Amino acid sequence: MKTKIIALFLLSVLVTENAMAFCGFYVAKADTKLFNKTSQIILVRDGNRTTITMNNDFQGDVKDFAMVVPVPVVLKENDIRISDQSVFEALDAYSGPRLVEYYDENPCYRYDYLEDYSYSRSESISMVQKSSMKEKEKGLGVKVEAEYSIGEYDILILSATESVGLKTWLTQNGYKIPGTANEVLDPYIKSNMKFFVVKVNLDNKKALGFEHLRPIQISFDSPKFMLPIRLGMANANGPQDMIVYAFTKTGRVECTNYRTVKIPTDRNVPLDIRNNFGKFYVDLFEKSWRYQGKNCVFLEYAWNVTPSWGGVKCDPCVGPPPLTADLGRAGVNWANQGNVFFTRLHVRYSRDKFPQDLNFQVTPNTEHFQGRYILTNPAGGDFECEDGQQYLKDLCYKRKHEVEELAVLTGWDVTRYGKYITEYNHLIKDNQFKKNDFTPVIPQDSDPGSPGNGGKWIFTLFFLVGVGGLFILLQRIPVTRQA
Amino acid sequence: MKSSIHLLTALRSLFRDARNFQIVFLSSFLLYGIWYLDWDHDIVRFAIIISTALMVQLVGVMLSPAPMHSLKSALITGLGMSLLFQANSYITLVMGVGLAIAGKFLIRSNGKHIFNPANFGIVVTILLTGDAWISPGQWGSSALLVFFIGAAGLMVILKAGRVDTSFAFLATLFLLEYVRTIVYLGWDFDFLLLKFSNGSLLLFSFFMITDPVTTPNHLVARIVWASLIAVVTFSLSNFMQVHTAPLWALFFISPLTVGFDRLLKSEKFQWIKA
Repeated sequence: MKTKIIALFLLSVLVTENAMAFCGFYVAKADTKLFNKTSQIILVRDGNRTTITMNNDFQGDVKDFAMVVPVPVVLKENDIRISDQSVFEALDAYSGPRLVEYYDENPCYRYDYLEDYSYSRSESISMVQKSSMKEKEKGLGVKVEAEYSIGEYDILILSATESVGLKTWLTQNGYKIPGTANEVLDPYIKSNMKFFVVKVNLDNKKALGFEHLRPIQISFDSPKFMLPIRLGMANANGPQDMIVYAFTKTGRVECTNYRTVKIPTDRNVPLDIRNNFGKFYVDLFEKSWRYQGKNCVFLEYAWNVTPSWGGVKCDPCVGPPPLTADLGRAGVNWANQGNVFFTRLHVRYSRDKFPQDLNFQVTPNTEHFQGRYILTNPAGGDFECEDGQQYLKDLCYKRKHEVEELAVLTGWDVTRYGKYITEYNHLIKDNQFKKNDFTPVIPQDSDPGSPGNGGKWIFTLFFLVGVGGLFILLQRIPVTRQA
Repeated sequence: MKSSIHLLTALRSLFRDARNFQIVFLSSFLLYGIWYLDWDHDIVRFAIIISTALMVQLVGVMLSPAPMHSLKSALITGLGMSLLFQANSYITLVMGVGLAIAGKFLIRSNGKHIFNPANFGIVVTILLTGDAWISPGQWGSSALLVFFIGAAGLMVILKAGRVDTSFAFLATLFLLEYVRTIVYLGWDFDFLLLKFSNGSLLLFSFFMITDPVTTPNHLVARIVWASLIAVVTFSLSNFMQVHTAPLWALFFISPLTVGFDRLLKSEKFQWIKA
């Protein structure tokens, strides 16, 4: 009996180890610093309560720093907090698209591998508007609803009756507002939005001694769950990137007025992507963005990150999962009591494709998702046995497929990959096989969002046959009664 | 020339039953989504929704005097729900579709079912389970042309069957939105265009509120009824931030059909004139 129990225990340990090994090993990640002009936002939504944390990586003289954000309500002093840059770094590192690798086993004999976890840190870049402060209000229909000094920032909450007055007020007070901002300010004023206006208090900053400007976090109650991006487009030249880290109690956050599209994932790519994964992902994103019409929001990550939740939090982990303290600093104030679902969205927006601000909704959708790209290391040793020979032939086809995937995903020229595909062919004894042509077949104008059309074809066929059959059947039944 | 006349006659006779036309169009939208909008991950969901709708309807046909050709209506409901309705679990999906079809047989007045089946199934499931949702953004704005082709086809073939409902709804909503977003708030015109090129809204306008069984019988009543839905939609989406407003508006206004039919008497709609 004892031996049985021990045997069972051993078996379960072995099974677990295999299951873990199945995750693959983490190789590299694509973080926000790969994209220039990228702002980062943390959004927390609980019922009608929204918390927005805005990252500040302002490069330049801090006395020139200023920010104007439309908000739905007048914020109270304890609705505004200073957060910490490290939260963004932790979230970015944890949720970025990842490169993983697997090791093939030689079918002629078997290896054992050890697990290895590693993660690294990343930096991030954010865009802010420049300006400086000078004067006081001059009866332009602008009312200072509230005035706070928090940390290194001086904060005003303004309400306005018309855009020209607001623009004049801002200009007189040293905020450099772009000429086209008028027409954008107007709709916000008439929608009864207030303006959250920030500048740096140089004395406080000096006293505090922080080198960089820290992120500002604001919370408010409003049925509106949106990000005002139109104001930032007024002076933009070219598309801007934004990464949104969103937290809810129930499930994924998605955009309601633009498509939310999954970034292509779980693709096998050639081994040398290990050395330039950053460029690979930047080009992949660019191609997907073009292919989807430049007017959608991309899903890069979605996972249940509840600290006490026992499930697997990543496969594999790029960075450590966010701790309760990280979540707290991000504005998730229920991390100890309930579910925390994390969504990472990446949007590249420009005025011509994004006429409206981004509106979001919380869905009950708890399906996990990650942007994941796979390297497969070939087996070592000799391949004399029959299975080994078959393995080499399969490897050749598999690599051809990897190269085709690479071309589809990034649009790169893959002609130099010929040697990679046939690297192991000299070990194959079957001369007939070696004569085959292994030039990659690159489908024209193919869809970087779909690994294959097999499922689509099967569904289409079944669907058409089913509906057609039903049609014919019903047309033959004589009509006797009314529906 | 001759063959084209033959084709036209064949089409006319096929689309004499408006449901055949709806099935062709909704099927095209579904296949469009699968092939061009990356909905291929959802194939299992579509299969479950459509087969559940047909099976529940078949049970209904056996237990009630409903005719066999009402399976077409169930197919339309199934297709419509495939294009809108999402849930975490298959059980929720089956429940939603079951409710939609069962509601037709159980909640009736004056020989007509009160709620639009797909609408009823979706709204009640969202309210009861908290496990289902609608993604109004899933279409993007590229579906605009497809829908207008659909609407044009609808008018030509049905000789404006109940398209009056669609147009009353869209025209009222457009007017209200235009006055608010362009005239009052001062957004650019493409702001409004994005709202009206939303696939979910157009699907709702041409294929959900046109359901002849759940709309009032009298023309005037229909136009008032559709405009009322537009007003509620406008208010919900602009002042309460409900992004799926049209579905809720239809759900709450649907029961008024009974009152409209009593006030303004007109001939009841029949799918196929016997």
